[in-house]
Amino acid sequence: MTATTTTPAPTTTAPPARRRRSYRALQPGPAGTVLRYVLLAVASVVTLFPFYAMVVLSLKPTAAVEFPGSLLPWPIKFDAYATVLDSRDILRWLLNTTIYSVVSVVAVLLLAAMAGYAFAKKRFPGREAMFWSFLAMVMVPYHVTLIPTFILIAKVGGVDTYWGLILPTLANAQAVFLMRQFIQGLPDELFEAAKIDGASEWRMFVRIVLPLCKPILATLGVFVFLWHWNDLLWPLIIGQSGDMRTLTVGIASLQKEQVPLNVMLAGSVVAFVPIFAAYLVGQRYFTEGVTMSGIKG
Amino acid sequence: MAVPAQLPAPGVRRVIARREARWGLLFVLPAFLLFLAFRFGPAIAGLLLGFMDYTIGGDAEWTGLENARRLADDPVFWQSLRITVVYTLLYVPLTVAASVGLALLVRRAFRGVGFFRSVFFLPVVTSLVLVATIFSWVFSSGGPWSRILSWVGLPADSWLASSTLVLPALALVGVWSHFGYGMLIVLARLQDLPREQEEAALTDGAGPWPRFRWIVLPQLKPVLFFLLVIETTASFQVFDLVYAMTGGGPARASYTLVMALYDQGFKYFDLGYASAIGVALFAMTLVVALIQRLALGRDK
Repeated sequence: MTATTTTPAPTTTAPPARRRRSYRALQPGPAGTVLRYVLLAVASVVTLFPFYAMVVLSLKPTAAVEFPGSLLPWPIKFDAYATVLDSRDILRWLLNTTIYSVVSVVAVLLLAAMAGYAFAKKRFPGREAMFWSFLAMVMVPYHVTLIPTFILIAKVGGVDTYWGLILPTLANAQAVFLMRQFIQGLPDELFEAAKIDGASEWRMFVRIVLPLCKPILATLGVFVFLWHWNDLLWPLIIGQSGDMRTLTVGIASLQKEQVPLNVMLAGSVVAFVPIFAAYLVGQRYFTEGVTMSGIKG
Repeated sequence: MAVPAQLPAPGVRRVIARREARWGLLFVLPAFLLFLAFRFGPAIAGLLLGFMDYTIGGDAEWTGLENARRLADDPVFWQSLRITVVYTLLYVPLTVAASVGLALLVRRAFRGVGFFRSVFFLPVVTSLVLVATIFSWVFSSGGPWSRILSWVGLPADSWLASSTLVLPALALVGVWSHFGYGMLIVLARLQDLPREQEEAALTDGAGPWPRFRWIVLPQLKPVLFFLLVIETTASFQVFDLVYAMTGGGPARASYTLVMALYDQGFKYFDLGYASAIGVALFAMTLVVALIQRLALGRDK
């Protein structure tokens, strides 16, 4: 008994000590550290400069003056914001984008969780065929389906309507996969206990499955939200009247109308702030979503 | 008495199984119907429409390879194909290189590493329309880019007004907006690598470059391949950036395939012809997927 407990002991304590030593060993020396910071600083400036310019130039009284003098943060004038907020329909665009994103996120998450749960934990006829037809469609580029989808929506009178905008984007095969994969990893006992308790299927889904899926729903939700918030092509095609424009379509249309740069950038800042705030709060989910799509996708 | 509770009678089990099947179908059905209507159906229809003459409101007429013949004779199509390929050749290697380079820089924990990782991912979450707006200014004549060019003694004309330099400009903006995505993917793989080999090489006196070239890089191969394929597929479909930044100009010098598809479909409403462009795009994607299959197969 003593022999078996003493032999594993060194191996359980050895790795942390060795790892700490090698951790330092694989770190760069002083020159390497300086070089790393210099390269990272340059890359950060290149990455952040356009954001800085967007904000600063939107606070200029007139369309951008000479570079680099125009990049000093003063004098600050909110004229461009006043223009963009009163004479333009930006609040309407913001509303449209919000409806498009929020409704889609809620609906995609619910539909994908339901389908993912059934694919993972239920037996029913046609399950494999349905699942494989989902899988096969991931290969077909979005642009092949774009035109027939537009024809279909136009035929049923969905052009320039919210439902016409939202409904086709709810068919999200990737979301169904991710949900299925996640729910498959949950132990069956969790569901069986509830079944013996006599919980109805729907109540079990709402009370047990959804809460268990919280982490994956958050990650997936962030990505679906981001995709809808930044989507250009579909809203451009389906929202043909001015009232149905989303932020992306609206700001692109300002560009075509040769609106002064500071006004356009003020509109861009308005469109950027919600995503930036979401990024600051939920950065972990963005990162998780990328690595998930990269490794498992 | 505990046995019947664990194992219900066959009749009861059948009832339970039937109830399960009914609920399973009910749960899948909403997603599946949407999928049939907006993915599966349109995918088939899109492929078929590529062989039809169809304008909205008119009748669809099967014309066989007529659209393919029109594409073959259409200089605008060939030009947009060439532009798309050139854009891809500029964008993909630069993006992958930037992704790997920055992933290596933020690989190990050090003070501020979280900040740098967050900064590099910020452009990925930013709408390409906003990116296009600000970079139109960056590349305008008198903007920062032309200033930098004149400081180093190069011609300071706006790249967006030049038919040869507009694609490099768009590719640079594309790299800026997307390298953070590849960086995170490469980073995830780097952090999974076992450290023993690198430590052994270090003990043997191998410098940073040999360690990267002979130990890290071979292990990154699958993830680099994945990145190469998704970035290539994405750049075949480049639209938002071009639409918002140049509109395909100057003089169609940045008129990509999806720009052509959009104009044919939604400006001229020649939906059959637009679908034929979609089919061409699909074929290009399949070729890339096939190359991926072959290359990965050879590796195994």
